Amino acid sequence: MTTTVIATRSLSKTFSMRARTIEAVRDISFEVARGERLAYIGPNGAGKSTSIKILTGILHPTAGEATVLGYVPWRDRRKLTMRIGTLFGQRSQLWFELTPRQSFRMLAAVYRMDARVAERRVAELGELLDATDLFDAPARTHSLGQRMRCELAACLLHGPEIVFLDEPTIGLDLLAKQRFRELLVTLNEEAGITIFLTSHDVADIEHVARRAIVINHGSVIHDADVAAMRRTLLSRKLVEVTFADEVPAPMLSGVEVLAHTGTTLELAVDTDVRSVRDVLDEVLGDRRVVDITVLDPPLEDVIAEIYQS
Amino acid sequence: MSVIAATMRAALAEAWSNRSAFWTQVTAIVLNDIVWIVFWVLFFRRVGPMRGWDGDSVLVLLAVLATSAGISFGILANGRRIGWFAADGDLDAALSLPVSTLAYLLVRRVETVHLGDILFGVVLFAFVGDPTPARIAVYLFGVAVGVAVLTGFLVLTGSMAFFTGRTTIGDMGFNAMMILSSYPVDIFVGASKVLLYSVVPAAFIAAVPARLIEDPTAADALGGVVAALVFCVGGWVAFSLGLRRYTSGAAWTRA
Amino acid sequence: MTLRLILTSMATAARRNTSDRSSVLVNIVFFVVVASVMSALWRAAAEANGGEIVGYSVVAVTWYALAAEAATVSLNMRMIELVCDDIASGAVATELLRPASVLGVRISMAIGAALPRLAVCCAAAAVLGPIVGGAPPRALGVVLAIPALVLAIACNLVAQHAVAAAAFWARDVRAVWFLYQKIVFVLGGMVLPLQVLPDGLERTAMLLPFMTMAYVPSRLAAGFIEPELLLLQVAWLGVLLVTAHLVFTAGERRLQVVGG
Repeated sequence: MTTTVIATRSLSKTFSMRARTIEAVRDISFEVARGERLAYIGPNGAGKSTSIKILTGILHPTAGEATVLGYVPWRDRRKLTMRIGTLFGQRSQLWFELTPRQSFRMLAAVYRMDARVAERRVAELGELLDATDLFDAPARTHSLGQRMRCELAACLLHGPEIVFLDEPTIGLDLLAKQRFRELLVTLNEEAGITIFLTSHDVADIEHVARRAIVINHGSVIHDADVAAMRRTLLSRKLVEVTFADEVPAPMLSGVEVLAHTGTTLELAVDTDVRSVRDVLDEVLGDRRVVDITVLDPPLEDVIAEIYQS
Repeated sequence: MSVIAATMRAALAEAWSNRSAFWTQVTAIVLNDIVWIVFWVLFFRRVGPMRGWDGDSVLVLLAVLATSAGISFGILANGRRIGWFAADGDLDAALSLPVSTLAYLLVRRVETVHLGDILFGVVLFAFVGDPTPARIAVYLFGVAVGVAVLTGFLVLTGSMAFFTGRTTIGDMGFNAMMILSSYPVDIFVGASKVLLYSVVPAAFIAAVPARLIEDPTAADALGGVVAALVFCVGGWVAFSLGLRRYTSGAAWTRA
Repeated sequence: MTLRLILTSMATAARRNTSDRSSVLVNIVFFVVVASVMSALWRAAAEANGGEIVGYSVVAVTWYALAAEAATVSLNMRMIELVCDDIASGAVATELLRPASVLGVRISMAIGAALPRLAVCCAAAAVLGPIVGGAPPRALGVVLAIPALVLAIACNLVAQHAVAAAAFWARDVRAVWFLYQKIVFVLGGMVLPLQVLPDGLERTAMLLPFMTMAYVPSRLAAGFIEPELLLLQVAWLGVLLVTAHLVFTAGERRLQVVGG
């Protein structure tokens, strides 16, 4: 078995709509090895969904090449889809009016699985995803978080070698996102499934991926180990504190004061130099605090940094 | 009252705003209605006059039906949705306004497609109805009866959803009315005919008004007025009782 | 498209349709109302015409109406609209991610969903028919009408999918279902026996696929033992399947080039 499961070379896709042409994907080249956990990150409209549609065979590129598991996706779609799983956050693979279990039965027939093997898989997945009690109610009655667990079961049913996920955590609450990310890591580490995940949520890089490809305006602008990225780019946190009384601006190493208006402070903390906890200890002291917010820098900032570095 | 008028005007303006969709839908329904003319012409070509009805009188029936249904489904378009609002708990927006809920709901929405029915009905009557002033007056009276009975019936059956939580009765009522009212009522005999003058008053939507135009009798006219009153009042009462149940929160406990 | 997938799709859809008790009731009531009206109309026509109309006796025309309504009420005439919506929304594009024929699964599920409703209508007709018109003119006719009804539904649903495929290219095709329904009503023999049509139109109707969707089972149920009509249905079903397949495949290809 080759170790490269996905390979693209100069992949491009241009859409022509009425008066204008849109270059959704521009000259993209990368390779993905078996067992990788890859996050394909970019802001809205960057070309992530287009890329994944090309790799899963439902879109023809305008130029360039791609192979997934040795297949040319748009030519060998039927054969390819037997071996990959897909989960599109904004689209359902489950039949809306059926229960997930009924959908699984349909999918077992679609993927030509032995019925008994399929039932066993469903039971295993139900346990793994803690979703067994969701399988027998119609899909339309589930909350989004519940539905996503059933969708994940659906996409894993036939034992795919690669799982493509397009914005899977969109609309989920924090806890559900966390659980979902943990599941992806487990699947990768225990079953060796290659994970290809697109997202515009930076936290997906931090918690799931070992490698991140950043795309913007259709082109790859960064492709590196997450560990390396974290060292250089993701070490910033934004802290906003509102006090009851006026406070002076702090002078601390690793802390940049972005804004200071009497009772409010906006700080950028370089967590490599000083932890957020340290900063809060120093800044809050025993002052009266009205509100505190700790944020990741917006993705646009991260990407801007990537552009500059 | 002016709020109702303003709402109706707004709903009509909304329908008129997308011009191409407006004309596409109107054309579609006119074509749809023409097929019924074709059907009846073919039918009476083969059969000849039947139980007091012939090709001409059935076309008058179609004209009245199209006009009445067009007004009821087109301008009072929410009439057939009362059940869905009740079952889905969707009345809050309407309830928060200082107007009669039922009247507001009825005029709130205009269904463009059925405006074509009104156009069709009027034009058809102009062609086959021999429109003398007297006949036009009866035609308008008949249409008023038809609209009143149809809308009242739809509100009455739709309001059952307040009590049962499901729209089944309302949907069945609508479908039954649509089918039964497009036929000359005298093809039915015995019990089913009685049904069409009472529980499912399809006879009053078009057949009785058409008969009035051809051959006005006091019995038919009075029957129409009584039916209109019964179903308007019935619908209003059912809706009010149902609304009381709705606002008491009972609907919320039915998941 | 394996046989297993076809059967699983049909069974799953059928099971879903039988689980909702109130909709079964609505189905029965609706069928009884519509079938009563249509058969009353044509019975009155036959009686007014000296006991028979275009070769159908009062009893025969009753059973014609019952079968025609069973063919109508069992399936969703607005399938065109639903499929168009799914094409436009990109749901069909997502279905391409499964290694199975998108059209095959959809048609199998649509037919599977219709079958329980057909069974209900047939049961209702078996009760209603003798009451309003009398026993069927030829028992064999009714026996042949049952597979004919299944084929009628299949032809109708496949044709609707073929028409709906226009949504891959054009934007506003949803309203076409209106027109389709009316064509099937008149040229399909749903609201009148095709013999009622003037000769030229009758001959045309006999050459078009719409007659498979209501006329064939109704003609058989009315007591005219013409088993070659079943073969005609099978032949048309084949043609319609091929057409739908070609149009859908072309549409999917377009989707892959142009995007969802």
